[in-house]
Amino acid sequence: MLAIDVNQLRKQFKVQKNREGLKGAMLDLFKREHTEVTAVKDISFQIPQGEICGYIGENGAGKSTTIKMLTGILVPTSGRILVNGYVPYKEREEFVRGIGVVFGQRSQLWWDIGVIESFRLLRKVYRVDEADFKRRLDELVETLQLQDLLNRPVRKLSLGQRMRCELVAALLHQPSILFLDEPTIGLDIVVKTEIREFLKRLNRDHGTTILLTTHDLQDIEALCSRVIMLDDGRIIYDGGLEELKERWGKGREVQFQFTDPISLDAVSSLTSGLDVRWTKENEVTAKVWIPRELNVSDVLSRVVGSAAEISDIKIFETNTDEIVREIYRTGSPEAKEAVRG
Amino acid sequence: MRIAFTLSLFREYLANYIKTKLTYRADFWVEVLSDLMFSAMNLIFIFVVFTHTPSLGDWSEAEVVFVYGYFMIPYGIFSTFSNLWNFSERYITKGEMDRILTRPANSLAQVMLENVDPPSLIGSFVGLGIMGVAWGRLGLPFHWYDPLVLIVMVLGSVLIYLGLYTALAAISFYSDAPTGIGPLIYNIQNYGRYPIQIYNKGIRFLLTWLLPFAFVGVYPASFFLERHADRTMAWLTPVVGLIVGAIGLIVWNSGVKRYRGAGS
Repeated sequence: MLAIDVNQLRKQFKVQKNREGLKGAMLDLFKREHTEVTAVKDISFQIPQGEICGYIGENGAGKSTTIKMLTGILVPTSGRILVNGYVPYKEREEFVRGIGVVFGQRSQLWWDIGVIESFRLLRKVYRVDEADFKRRLDELVETLQLQDLLNRPVRKLSLGQRMRCELVAALLHQPSILFLDEPTIGLDIVVKTEIREFLKRLNRDHGTTILLTTHDLQDIEALCSRVIMLDDGRIIYDGGLEELKERWGKGREVQFQFTDPISLDAVSSLTSGLDVRWTKENEVTAKVWIPRELNVSDVLSRVVGSAAEISDIKIFETNTDEIVREIYRTGSPEAKEAVRG
Repeated sequence: MRIAFTLSLFREYLANYIKTKLTYRADFWVEVLSDLMFSAMNLIFIFVVFTHTPSLGDWSEAEVVFVYGYFMIPYGIFSTFSNLWNFSERYITKGEMDRILTRPANSLAQVMLENVDPPSLIGSFVGLGIMGVAWGRLGLPFHWYDPLVLIVMVLGSVLIYLGLYTALAAISFYSDAPTGIGPLIYNIQNYGRYPIQIYNKGIRFLLTWLLPFAFVGVYPASFFLERHADRTMAWLTPVVGLIVGAIGLIVWNSGVKRYRGAGS
């Protein structure tokens, strides 16, 4: 069964121009001047139950707008959404009982009272049975190690501590889908890792479907089997992470460290006839960039087989960051070929 | 069922309010004190006016005070439950409405509950006291049904306030920037707490039919005043209350559909 089914989804915003002064305000009350901005442009995708899907794109690409439509906060301009079998904005109150939402930049918790008080209030709001609540809370507190934090007011928690509490708050009612909008923003590497591990476990143990937006591609690499990439309101990639690297990886780089000083011309002549590019790092070190079509071994054998003595070899795979940066920069993955040439 | 659920939430939110306030006790008392001082100022204003004139357009001092006392009752209840002054800034501009909308309870109820302000209720009791004293000074008769009528009238008046200010708050859903209309309405509202017969025709019409603040003051209070009794207008209070309340709810509900979030 599909957890999320989105068809030709579109969201347009009217951005209004404000007139000045009280008179302008009164005029604005009756007649507005607008310009239209389309944040999400007819996107379609399906996410089956139990999948962890990463939703990435530059700032302003339309990620948050999509998430907000999926969670029932915003009403779409046109298109069809079905989440958990509900149309989110239509039966909002019924629908949100089955989803969990964490917005990294916004808190679900009450600022001045102890964390546990917030949880209790949420229990009431979500109408969770006392026994279920207790079992669930114990489990979450155990996995996220919150025992010492429960009685502290939220405003006295560090960001990492708060984020872990936010996760608990979003999961108390055992939702089948969890939406995360930049869950690891501003967190240190230890907390990030903890949260990733926790999400993986949640997905494994409870089969929770997870959709997350992030700017940290390590989140994606650690968690997601699938990536949806958005640019200017359109989906430009939807598929596996490996495939993304495969298709748009920029080739590999091999670094050679020689025992004797070398010159750029000398090393270039070693691989004459091959479509590679050399750069010199320092007196004894040079890097060669090898496009994907070429075998690394072909280049290696030429260099190793030469007279030059080599003390070290390193092979670099292009990482996801670079791929994505390149796609963002060029605006679309199709433009890739041109850039590479 | 839905209403029972919302009421049970009210208890929880109130408990949270108390827990919060216990951490900021000084705040609580300052708020109570400033509320009371504000009311006292208004009363003193009435007394000062009447040191210069024996009556205001046929209304005696005790009668004006009586109307003012009545006004304080619904106003206190309204302020307790509908503390929406910073709604636009907090929920729209800062986008806290996102959070509200991801929770399974009525959005308006949630916003109101998150902002409950019980100290305002003290004003209602003070108002009741003022009304009682004025009642005695005017030597008004007391009927068995008076308390019941008072409850109905107060409910109607509270609904008028709730409806108007909910609609006003919901305007922020339609417009990006605060439109400056809030303070304007607030100032008009202040005219409603005095007998509107002392104003000219235009203002009377405005306060009766357009922004019916006169139904949160002189009209319902006149039910009890022998000399100015106007039963028709008095009994219109609950009717107008239901209408304005419904309008507020409709504007809110269609406004929520136009909510557009904030930030990225």
